[in-house]
Amino acid sequence: MKKPEQRDLFPGALEMMILRTLKRQPLHGYALVQHIKRTSNDLLQIEEGSLYPALQRLLKEDLVKAEWSISSTNRRVRIYKLTAAGARHLERQVSSFEKMLEGITRVLARGES
Amino acid sequence: MRYLRALITRFAELFRKPRRERELVAEMESHLQMHIDDNLRSGMTPQEARRQALLRLGGIEQTKEIYRDRKSLPIIESLLRDLRYGLRVLRKNPGFTTVAVLTLAIGIGANTAIFSVLESQLWRPLPFPDSERLVDAHVVLRENLRQWGVLSSSVYKTWRERSHSFTNLGAYDYPANRNLTAGGTSERVQVMPVTSSLWDTLEVPLETGRGFLPEEETPGRDRVAILTDALWQTRFASDNSVIGKPIVLDGQPYIVVGVASPGLHFEYIDEPAIFVPLAMEPSEQALRNTYVIARLAPGVSPEQARAELAGILETIPKSGGGQAESTASVTNLRETWTGFAARSLFFFAGAVLLVLLIACVNNAGLLLARGLGRQREFTLRAALGAGRGTLIRQSLVESLILSLAGGAAGTLLGLWGAAAFAAFIPQDTLPRNSHIALDARVLLFALAVSIFSALLTGVVPALLSSRVDLNNALRQGASALSSGRSQNRTRSSLVIIEVALALVLLFGAGLFLRSFVRLEQAPRGFDAPGALSFRVSLRGESYAQPEQQHRYFRSLTDQLGTLPGVQAVTVGTGIPLDGHTLSASLNVAGRPPRRKHGTGVLTYAVAPNFFGFLHMHLLAGRAFAPQDSGTSPRVAIISRNTAHTLFGSEDPLGKVLEFVPDERRGVPAEAPSQIVGVSENAQVFGANEVPFDVIYFPFSQHPSSAADIVISSNLPRGALLGAIRETAYALDKDQPVFDVHTMDDLISSSLGGARFDLLLVACLAIVGLTLVSVGIFGTVAYFVQQRTREFGIRLVLGATPAGILRHALKRSFVMGFVGLLSGVVVSLALGRVLRGVLYLVPGEHTGMLYGVKIYDPLSMSFACILLFAVLTLASYIPAVRAARVEPTVALRYE
Repeated sequence: MKKPEQRDLFPGALEMMILRTLKRQPLHGYALVQHIKRTSNDLLQIEEGSLYPALQRLLKEDLVKAEWSISSTNRRVRIYKLTAAGARHLERQVSSFEKMLEGITRVLARGES
Repeated sequence: MRYLRALITRFAELFRKPRRERELVAEMESHLQMHIDDNLRSGMTPQEARRQALLRLGGIEQTKEIYRDRKSLPIIESLLRDLRYGLRVLRKNPGFTTVAVLTLAIGIGANTAIFSVLESQLWRPLPFPDSERLVDAHVVLRENLRQWGVLSSSVYKTWRERSHSFTNLGAYDYPANRNLTAGGTSERVQVMPVTSSLWDTLEVPLETGRGFLPEEETPGRDRVAILTDALWQTRFASDNSVIGKPIVLDGQPYIVVGVASPGLHFEYIDEPAIFVPLAMEPSEQALRNTYVIARLAPGVSPEQARAELAGILETIPKSGGGQAESTASVTNLRETWTGFAARSLFFFAGAVLLVLLIACVNNAGLLLARGLGRQREFTLRAALGAGRGTLIRQSLVESLILSLAGGAAGTLLGLWGAAAFAAFIPQDTLPRNSHIALDARVLLFALAVSIFSALLTGVVPALLSSRVDLNNALRQGASALSSGRSQNRTRSSLVIIEVALALVLLFGAGLFLRSFVRLEQAPRGFDAPGALSFRVSLRGESYAQPEQQHRYFRSLTDQLGTLPGVQAVTVGTGIPLDGHTLSASLNVAGRPPRRKHGTGVLTYAVAPNFFGFLHMHLLAGRAFAPQDSGTSPRVAIISRNTAHTLFGSEDPLGKVLEFVPDERRGVPAEAPSQIVGVSENAQVFGANEVPFDVIYFPFSQHPSSAADIVISSNLPRGALLGAIRETAYALDKDQPVFDVHTMDDLISSSLGGARFDLLLVACLAIVGLTLVSVGIFGTVAYFVQQRTREFGIRLVLGATPAGILRHALKRSFVMGFVGLLSGVVVSLALGRVLRGVLYLVPGEHTGMLYGVKIYDPLSMSFACILLFAVLTLASYIPAVRAARVEPTVALRYE
């Protein structure tokens, strides 16, 4: 059994990371996983099982769009792209995340002193 | 908003699933492949590479499931799944499904039929714009709020002038038959006097022409008429030029000024053909049979309007038509017009509801039995992870499918039932002649009843059969599963409820049957088999005087008497059961009045041979004789009831009756009359009536313009009728003969209402009894089957087949006994509650039952014995099967 905290950091974190990654360049699902893994220096292991539901969610809310195409290894893949709405959403999310992070950091710092 | 959109897309997803899902699968396949490729590159064996990749992805199926639960609405989706599953299960058990659907179809159909009758007769708005704002305003007695039924024109005019509660007020008189002569032919038509304001009050426009003017409401200026669209079409070929032309009503010319719109229907009363102005003298104080319709002003409640009218009524001096003992009443017009039928219709609705309840209980038993049979399936499903909620939902969905199917079949059955109801119910027992039709409201009702019965049948079996104890179930095997104690208790209670409900129905049917027999046997007080009656109502200047009226009827009877084949002819202002009667108020000379305004009686004026002809038995004194003429001393014959009311056990012969002039109606007093005879009570209006106080005068002393002529002959009806018409038209061609019927018709139609009640209740009782026997049979058979093994052991241990039979029967007898007992208690309690509605009470003539008591022992024993017989029969067959069982078979029985 997978423990929930391994799946996701907090609600929305996976989506935020997906959006952030897609903002840089459109990617297919597998590349997304690899990319997040790489950029986090293997600190964040994305549960691949939760990736696709998350992607479907984003698709549904028009934050990303998907297109079938052929990968460099000659496979049929679905490339995900950030939409304008997705970019706006990401901005909001990041800013609220930063605020939250700042708050958490302050509380943690207070606790130490 | 966002949520709503999500909901809508999710809903849409329900139907788009396959494509999306295929895409997802394809995408994940390619993801998996890429992962495997990577793993291979990093040096794994192909098997290991695949395993690792699959572990990472977490399994395609699970992901699909997570994705699915997010993607569409899980509740609806699983409901659809349950629905598909339920349909499959029901299709596999055609016998069970057919019985269950049919049972419900009968219950729901009967309810839908009655509902559509209630809807079309009582609740459908009247055919006028915004008709629920229309009220009936009238004067009632302060003491009992009973309708006075009469109004003086000054009260109407004062109300109209001073009240502010209404946007408009109009009045009408009941339509009356008059002779219409136009274009050379004459016919009898219904003519309805209305005020000029009635059109505006009802807010119905005219087809063409103009309405009445207020000044045309004065006597002398009221010779104008408005035709109904129907008459205009049939009689005048929709010719516009008829406006301004004269027509003749009862010999007097009226100018046609307009034609009413085709949409104008009064529904509840005889449709009038012609409207004339309701003419009243402004200061007229005499009471008349005028009815007031008013349209409530916006925001005014009927109670506020009533208070205002009552206040105005009090300011009218007594001499001006106001009465200290009366007050105003304002009621919804639709309810006023249809209310008289509500009582019996609601009673039928109650009886029909009983049938539905029986059907539901029956199906609950069926479902329960089937639930037990499916215990293995439920256990399996529970073991595979279905929660109790899922199991309950599945069971409920199945009963919902059954009920909806039953509802659909029931609606068709209901349509047919409503048509049959309308066809069989006697004329004028329904308040409106609007069509009973299927409309959205009826469909909605059928749907609601279906869902209601699904819950009623489904909940208990669903709860019981979903209670799966996995440990026990899997350990002990199927045979131990089915004999849960609570389930047996529930099944017994269902049988008890069924028996009780059926008893109520059967007892009711017994009461109606007994009541009908009583009615048929009730002394009618007259008898004239084969006699034919018809009516003549003299119109025109030449019959204004009583002597002229007397002369006409005497000539007519004399001439008819000389026709070949005619045995006897008599005449009376009315005959028993045809309801034509006059009334008077009287006191006994030399005694203080019993009531302030005298004792009210119904009066007839009849020929000397009237009593002999109709076999109306004289209890004392003599019949009228030819010498009781207009110039001889006034005489009267009173009915037995009148004698009892006025004189108790005293001898009434020779006493003198003094008549109270009816100032309220503007009727002058009759001359005092001496009582010369007492006759047996004869029915006046119908079979189902409390005897009235009736007195008879000689026709020669009290001639009337309208009378019934009764004739007995050995001629065939058609020939006799032809001879009658010929004779009457030879005497005066302008006086039509109408209301022709035989005395047997009158008697038969007087029993029509009771016959219909009996028919309906008996049908419902038979349906109920059938359902109950099926239910009991099923339940007992099930009990026996369940205990086959036990019986086998008993037989092996030395029990005799007879002992087993007794044993098997004992249980159903106990259930039957408890059921009958509860049924008796419920019936008696219901009888007490409904006594006022069901039973004829002294002074009221509207009860549905005649001559039986609420605890009528005969009906009760009849119901008990019949049910007990059915119960025994339904239990006996399975019990015998149990007793015949071979021990070896029984012991092997699983």
